[in-house]
Amino acid sequence: MRLFVSGIRKLSRRPATFVTFGLLIGLLVLIVLAVGATANSNMGGGAGEGARGAAAKELLTFPGAYDRMLAFIIGLGGLFAMIYGAAIAGSEWSWGTLKSAVARGESRVRYMLLQFSSIAFMVAVGLVIAFVIAVVAAIVGAHLANVSISGLGDTATLGHLPERLLKGWFAVVEEAALGFTIATLARSQLAGIGAGIAFYFGESFASIFLPDVVKYMPFSVANAAVSTGSGQGLSSGGGAIASLPADQALVLVALWLVGSLFVASIFSDRVEIAG
Amino acid sequence: MSGTDGLAVATRGLRKRYGSRLALNGLDLSVPEGVVYGFLGPNGAGKTTTMRVLTGLIHSDGGTVELLGKSFKRGDRHRLFDVGALVESPTFYPYLSGRANLRALAASGAPVPSKRIEELLDLVGLGDRANDKVQGYSLGMKQRLGIAEALLSDPKLLLLDEPANGLDPAGIVAMRDTLKALAAGGKTVFISSHLLAEIQVMADVVGIIAGGKLVREGPLKELLSMEGVVKVRVRPNLTEAAIKTLAPLAKAEPLAETDRDEGWLSVHLAADRAEDVNQTLAGAGIYASGLESGTDLEMLFLELTGAQASGGEGAFVGLGALNGEQNGGASAGKGTAA
Repeated sequence: MRLFVSGIRKLSRRPATFVTFGLLIGLLVLIVLAVGATANSNMGGGAGEGARGAAAKELLTFPGAYDRMLAFIIGLGGLFAMIYGAAIAGSEWSWGTLKSAVARGESRVRYMLLQFSSIAFMVAVGLVIAFVIAVVAAIVGAHLANVSISGLGDTATLGHLPERLLKGWFAVVEEAALGFTIATLARSQLAGIGAGIAFYFGESFASIFLPDVVKYMPFSVANAAVSTGSGQGLSSGGGAIASLPADQALVLVALWLVGSLFVASIFSDRVEIAG
Repeated sequence: MSGTDGLAVATRGLRKRYGSRLALNGLDLSVPEGVVYGFLGPNGAGKTTTMRVLTGLIHSDGGTVELLGKSFKRGDRHRLFDVGALVESPTFYPYLSGRANLRALAASGAPVPSKRIEELLDLVGLGDRANDKVQGYSLGMKQRLGIAEALLSDPKLLLLDEPANGLDPAGIVAMRDTLKALAAGGKTVFISSHLLAEIQVMADVVGIIAGGKLVREGPLKELLSMEGVVKVRVRPNLTEAAIKTLAPLAKAEPLAETDRDEGWLSVHLAADRAEDVNQTLAGAGIYASGLESGTDLEMLFLELTGAQASGGEGAFVGLGALNGEQNGGASAGKGTAA
């Protein structure tokens, strides 16, 4: 418990936390407001422009906007979470702070797992805050686009939100675990972040040629696990193919999460700490 | 493990290999409890590898380790709850303050009372800067914080790798006094260092390693008195006569012996007997053109590790060698010149 609380304290003061969260929120708000501000101007042109304007208005129309905002957060947030996880794990090696803890008799596996638990907690907090901001941005965007927000209080959608948020958190945490493990194996922040980003875009690229394989890969299953089947909206998730059923994808998310942490734990326990 | 009673650290036949390089080659260390132990050796001798093994960062390929009288193997991490360590350079979260770093580290390993952190910050002289981010600290301040980290759990055994690194003279004196006080209080302080003069004034016992093996270990005073040397230079044509003349003097001391060293004769006996050497030579009609004596640690260190130092990792080429001379390098002599 001491380590978990300490981990949260460390992360809450860490610049990487604010930079990652700030980038996600900045992009989210910018895009939503831009969509809202330009939705009406797209309505006045030809058929194509009209369709784009209609799509933009639909994006900002509640209660569907709840799902679309969440999909965006989970899609782009997954990439950021992976980078964040890699930064945190890599710095333990780069800065040598893991070394100090091990020399104090701390269990390497316990240390790494509790560090990751802290990351998972921060992701949960970030996800909730980001979602609230996204909803506020969508309301403002809807106002700019002259779209009614009457669906804001749709009880059926609101009732499902906690479950959707929980699944979304689980998916994002899996992606964070992947970055965490890559950086642990690389024993470096930069190498971990670089390899994680390459993995993310590599998976997207590979989905063009190997869709049947890629649909089982971590980013694709994360997207599939939270997919409502109503389109991704603003999502910029790494997996273009999300063809697995959500329940099956959720199981694979769990397997990727546990598998990643298992690898990180075993590696941390066995590796010689030098430098 | 037999014969390790009263030892804070005992290694027997410790071996560690990195690829083709043998870093530790059967190291046998015996560190008594309640002393300041100076752990010396040239670069690449195996000091840091030993520190890493003792702190569980790496595991040996063979041999045994005992910490505070108990076996220390893979999985025995709880032994380290009574050990404080500063291995290589101190490590911190740069974006956190000194105080927050100590709190973060205190969350791992043995529990630490919060007031202990404040005590340590004052002890290492960082009380006023405790809220500043570590990334703004000087090297010496980081070193002070590293020493505070090592002391967090009020350890019975303190393992410090180059603790004086970056400290200003006042800081070195303060650190020395602190470590000596800790040893006087019954704690064992194990210091790996290149600062031989510092070890000489601080250590009670020293261990010197070279090539991954212990080459000498014992109480510092005893080693220095036994390993003193008087060097005398005579004309080349008088060398043989001088050896014959000094032989009885050497025999008079069980540990004394003579040898040749680039025109100098080294007589291994207590350094305060330089006058006897000079008198004996003069009595035989041989007059020394140079006379040096020394009992310092540097002389002992160079003598014991000289072969490794000249070819070891990080060895410098003597100025003479750079100038194309056959016998470059510095004299190890210190003390009085006749």
